[in-house]
Amino acid sequence: MKKVTAKKVTTMMSCEQFELSGLDVDRADAQPEEAAAATEHAANCARCFAMLESWRELKQDLRLLQEHTRLESAPARVEMRLKQELRTRREARVPRSTVAVATWALAAAAALAAAIGWMHWRDGISRHTDTAPPQVAAVAQVNPEPTLDASLLTADYDTGDFTQLPGSMPTASSDESVLQARVQRGALVQFGLPVAPEQATEWVDVDFLVGEDGQPLAVRLHQDASSEAVTQ
Amino acid sequence: MKILDEKEPALLKRAVRGDEQAFLALYQKHQTPLYRYALRMTGSPWAAEEVVQEVFLLLIREPQKFQPDRGELGAFLFGVTRNRVMKHLERLPREDSLDAINANGTTWREPEDPLTPMMIAEKSERIEQVREAVLGLPAEFREAVVLCELEEMSYEEAAQACGCPVGTIRSRLHRGRALLLAKLELLRDAPRRASAGAR
Repeated sequence: MKKVTAKKVTTMMSCEQFELSGLDVDRADAQPEEAAAATEHAANCARCFAMLESWRELKQDLRLLQEHTRLESAPARVEMRLKQELRTRREARVPRSTVAVATWALAAAAALAAAIGWMHWRDGISRHTDTAPPQVAAVAQVNPEPTLDASLLTADYDTGDFTQLPGSMPTASSDESVLQARVQRGALVQFGLPVAPEQATEWVDVDFLVGEDGQPLAVRLHQDASSEAVTQ
Repeated sequence: MKILDEKEPALLKRAVRGDEQAFLALYQKHQTPLYRYALRMTGSPWAAEEVVQEVFLLLIREPQKFQPDRGELGAFLFGVTRNRVMKHLERLPREDSLDAINANGTTWREPEDPLTPMMIAEKSERIEQVREAVLGLPAEFREAVVLCELEEMSYEEAAQACGCPVGTIRSRLHRGRALLLAKLELLRDAPRRASAGAR
C-alpha cells in the first residue's frame, strides 16, 4: 500500500515541488516518500540534479563552518561579570535583611521594656493601695521632716492630750485656743497626718489647738467619732 | 556532581538567592548554544558577547520572567537571546563580519588537519565565503539556515524556537538556501571568470 503511495508521489513530483522540498533529501527528518520522490526526480531532471549537487556542495561548506564555530562560547569575562553582578546583588540583599532583623529586634526590645515597665507600674500601684495611700506620699513630699516620730503623726483619741502636728513647734504660750470641727478624715492629710484611703471619707470630730497666728499646732480626735485610730 | 542532577527551576531559585555554584551550573549549560547562535546571526563576537551577558543578567535581575509551567529554561533563554539578536540586527543591520580574531583576542581555532598549506588555505577561504554568504542573508532566512543547517534543529524545533509554524520555517529555509546558492555561485564563479578573461 505504502509503495503504491510512494510511486504515486514519485510520478507526481514536478521541478517546482523539487525546489520546495527536494533539497531536504539528506535531512534526518525528511519524509521517506518525499525523499524517494525527490531522488527519482533528480535522476530524471538534469537541472534539478545540478541544483541538488550544488546544494550538497554548499552543505559541505556549511558543515565546515559549523565545525569551525562548534566550540565557540562566550568569553570568560562574561562569566566574571555575571558572577560580580550576583555578588553585588547578594551583598545588597544582606544589609537589607540585617536592617530588617535589627528593626524587629529593636521593636521586640521596646515592647519588652514597655511590658516590664507596665508590670512594675502595676506592682507599684497595688503596693501603694495595700500599704500607703498616695496622699501620704504627697504629704511626705510637702512635709520635709521624715525624721518625725510616728507617734507625733498619730492623733490621740480623747486622752486629753493633743498630738503635735508635723512641722509645728511646741509652744508655752497661753494664747492658743481650741477649735472644734467635724471633718472627713481625708482632710487631716493637709495637716500632715497619715490617712488610710479606705477611711478617708469617714467623718470625725477633731479638736485643733490653734496658735496665736491662727495656724493649727496640734490635733485631737474624739474616739466616738471614729472606729479606728489613724496609724501609719 | 550533585548540582548537575538538580532540576533547573530549583537551581534557578538557588541562583537567585545568590548561590554562585547553582548559577554557574545554569550558565555553563546554556551559554554555549546561545553564544553560538548569536555569533552566527550577528557575525560579531562583541555583539554575541553582549547579547549573552544581557540574557543572563535578565535571569539574575528578573528571574520571575521565567515561568517553568510555560516551558523549559533553555527555550526561555533562547527566546530572550533571539529577541536581543533581532533588536541588534534591526539597530545595526550589519555591524562587522566575523573576522579572524574572536572575542578572546585569539585567532580562530584551526582544527589540526593533515592537509597541505594549499588545502588549508582553500578550506579557510571556503569557510570565509560561506560565512559571508550566511551573514548576507536577510535576518529571517539567515535564522532558518542557522537553526536548521548549522544548529541541526528539526523543522519542529526551529518553528518552536522562532514561534512560527513549521511551514514558515520550511519556506524561509527554502528561500535562504536559494539565496545562499546564488551568492556562492557568484563568489566562486567570479575568480573563474576573471582568470578566463585574463587568458
